[in-house]
Amino acid sequence: MEEIFSVGKRVPQIDAKEKATGQAVYTFDMKLPGMLVGKFLRSTLAHAIIKKIDTTQALKLKGVHAIITRDDTYKIRYGSNSYFFPFTDDQYPLATDKVRYIGEEVAAVAADSEEIASEAIKLIKVEYEELPAVFDPIEAMKPGASQIQSSRNNVAVMIPALAGDIEKGFKESDFITEVEFRLQSAAHVALEPHVALAKYEEGKITLWTSTQAPFRVRENLAKTLKMEQKDIRVIKPQVGGGFGGKLEMLPLDFCACLLAKKTNRPVKFCLTREEEFIYTRRKHPMIFKLKAGTSRDGKIKALAGEVIADGGAYCSYGPTVVAAAIMRIGIVYKLENVKIFGYRVYTNNPISGAIRGFGGVQSGFAYESLIDMLASGIGMDPAEFRLKNATDPNFTAFNGMEITSNGLKDCIRLACEKSDWGNLKQNKKTNLGIGIAIAADVMGSKMYKSHESAGTVIRVEEDGSVILFTGAADTGQGANTTMAQIAAQEMGIDISRIRVIAADTENTPFDTGSFASRVTFISGNATKRAAQDVRKQIDEIVAKHWNILQERIAHKKELIYDLENQFNQMSFQEAVKLCYSFEVGKMLIGKGVYNPPTKPVDLRTGKGNVSASYSFEAQIAIVEVDKETGKVKILKIIDAHDVGRAINPMAVEGQIEGSLIMGIGYSLFEDLKFKNGICPNPNLFNYRIPRSTDTVEIETILIETNDKEGPFGAKGMGESSLLPTAAAIANAIYDAIGVRITDLPILPQKILSALKK
Amino acid sequence: MQKYNIEIKVNGKNYELEVNSNTLLVEVIRDQLLLNGTKNACNNGECGSCTVIMNAKSVLSCLILAADCNGAEITTIEGLSNDLNKLHPIQEAFVEKGAIQCGFCTPGMILSAKYLLDTNPDPSEEEIKIGMSGNLCRCTGYVKIIEAVKEASRKIKK
Repeated sequence: MEEIFSVGKRVPQIDAKEKATGQAVYTFDMKLPGMLVGKFLRSTLAHAIIKKIDTTQALKLKGVHAIITRDDTYKIRYGSNSYFFPFTDDQYPLATDKVRYIGEEVAAVAADSEEIASEAIKLIKVEYEELPAVFDPIEAMKPGASQIQSSRNNVAVMIPALAGDIEKGFKESDFITEVEFRLQSAAHVALEPHVALAKYEEGKITLWTSTQAPFRVRENLAKTLKMEQKDIRVIKPQVGGGFGGKLEMLPLDFCACLLAKKTNRPVKFCLTREEEFIYTRRKHPMIFKLKAGTSRDGKIKALAGEVIADGGAYCSYGPTVVAAAIMRIGIVYKLENVKIFGYRVYTNNPISGAIRGFGGVQSGFAYESLIDMLASGIGMDPAEFRLKNATDPNFTAFNGMEITSNGLKDCIRLACEKSDWGNLKQNKKTNLGIGIAIAADVMGSKMYKSHESAGTVIRVEEDGSVILFTGAADTGQGANTTMAQIAAQEMGIDISRIRVIAADTENTPFDTGSFASRVTFISGNATKRAAQDVRKQIDEIVAKHWNILQERIAHKKELIYDLENQFNQMSFQEAVKLCYSFEVGKMLIGKGVYNPPTKPVDLRTGKGNVSASYSFEAQIAIVEVDKETGKVKILKIIDAHDVGRAINPMAVEGQIEGSLIMGIGYSLFEDLKFKNGICPNPNLFNYRIPRSTDTVEIETILIETNDKEGPFGAKGMGESSLLPTAAAIANAIYDAIGVRITDLPILPQKILSALKK
Repeated sequence: MQKYNIEIKVNGKNYELEVNSNTLLVEVIRDQLLLNGTKNACNNGECGSCTVIMNAKSVLSCLILAADCNGAEITTIEGLSNDLNKLHPIQEAFVEKGAIQCGFCTPGMILSAKYLLDTNPDPSEEEIKIGMSGNLCRCTGYVKIIEAVKEASRKIKK
């Protein structure tokens, strides 16, 4: 295809008008006749054996249709890392043997109204035998600590990152630094809470749920309900944001289905904002104890340490979050001697899981602060130090991650150029600082299943309109629009011909879901293949009609023509008419599947290649620090990003800006607190997220490296802008006032107390 | 539960409704009038997704008792334009500038922008930031929302 008319254009989301008029339908908005309200009885204890659950009184209440407890389930445990870590399938959809955190789901009620359901919850009696609870991961790892699951010392998994000879590395170092970083928990705060609406009809369950991964929800529903996948239909309507919090089957999905089956009535669960904060998933608090060394000429010689993640009561996506937290460093820097161990530790806190950045935000802050400390230790410019150690194209990392296209060094150079780095570094102004941090990210991660497939089917209807069926789950990032742009480009048609039907386990092909920044790259490749398939079917018919070889057929927008004879041309519309004509009579259905080429991860060594390509970026923050109040004002952030190719630059900017501002929130104020398993700030007043007044000037630089594996050269990029933000800010603060902050969020009082030291 | 009869005008239409003493305006809008564009993402007056315009002021419909709304004139997102081919200039600007990602905050955002531009047709960037600061968005980082409000101001002035 010569003419580029769809890919690379600033296209508004294809359903933006529906959203702008309030017509878009979210699970939150759905109602069915006879629908019951579902509600949970939650554990009041952090750690206890469940002796007895008595629902007799509650069941007598008028308007209560059913109550389910462990006895109504098959008592099957599930998890999200079953393929590589089968032993981390550790959660029952309803608490079965024990409760392991305050708020765990013990029973679920279906009633005529919210009020009756709440009343019924109060009437359920649970007898517990309380066990000692442990809330601090370091305490939890000590021998003799209360045992939460069956794993030794409450360590669910230990993952290594190993290379070279660490002792030799430190011996060769001219400067060595040792430091501990501490990162807090945070919440996703998708505006639409978790909502699930289920009905049971003709032996089949249909579940509408606010999810990023309908096929993964179906997988675990089938497992825990002992049903076949064909008998469960999971539909993702419009989703009001996910950010990693909607990647799994949660107890509300399971209970909505089971209660619907039990009552023969539709059942809807909608979590409150408070439940949303505490009882869904949260960011892993992490401790990084790191030691690193560099030679005088700026070569990183050794990197060692351990990462301890507070996983809470169940594994969720935790094992892979920790893996990601320690593995990504290999695609950022050329490292020879590495010895890092990551521990994912059980505590009696609520469950930690996936959240945008997937461990990379915590590790980004730790490693990129550490790198700055190394540079300053040998008196080298931090940008120059990074350039000396950054990875190159076609480089294989110490842990087997295979980089192909790589614009990292260009990102660093361009970010420096646009930020006037050299000048600001040399002519320092009082209390003004500039800091850099860099990052790399996956696009897909084959660590959850034996495959990471995506599929697309494209139907060209008799009137020339096009229906694109994709398993990809648009949760607001604009995946449907990206798929339509790719198909329009590949088929040579205007995007307005296409309607996208997405993420319905019964009607669309399989897709693992919207996570790991994978959709554009993986689902995009499937869509490109489906579009190519259907286009070739049309080409074949047109070639026959013109009596020429198919290779001579070419496309422009809405036009099919012969490369060798200018008189042979017809519109797309005419071509469709030809295909469906009496003489030809050929129905047009294209199919595309894609499973990225990767290599499995060996969990003993941490070696493997989880993604088929990688994306890169550099971020520079310019800040002003008020030494009297400790307040940090971010003047500007420059983000230079290797996106392979921007299918939709407006959407790409939207991802970068959204990530960056989320990153600023986490850096400066977001903090989901827990004390003895209780969260004191589960609301938007006490857990502040950025508002319009918190935005800063952002300059986005898109670097297009045209990845050979990506659709039209595109890479994934939905999460990576979040990874370096905290470190870029912290490094800028150090540049401004000489104070090194090692724990987030960077509150004014931390700056003031650090200044006093 | 005490019942109240209220008369309200929503998007130009008159309604006579019976409401409970504890019924919230957002519940009337969503559950009785079936206008689902208005969202209630926190039910606590913290997120702005339930913003509607009542008697020419932007209000949080999750903090207002329906019984107190007798005689009120209310505009919800559906009242701006419900026609996909003929959007209100603010809706148009939000679409064109990429200010919409998941869209859950969008109705409230657009109504806050409407109130802002009704009272200040030519706001500065700072005034836009302050005017929109009661509405939370987790997707966009607000950059494109601020651009959209600027664009809407230009469109309306034309």
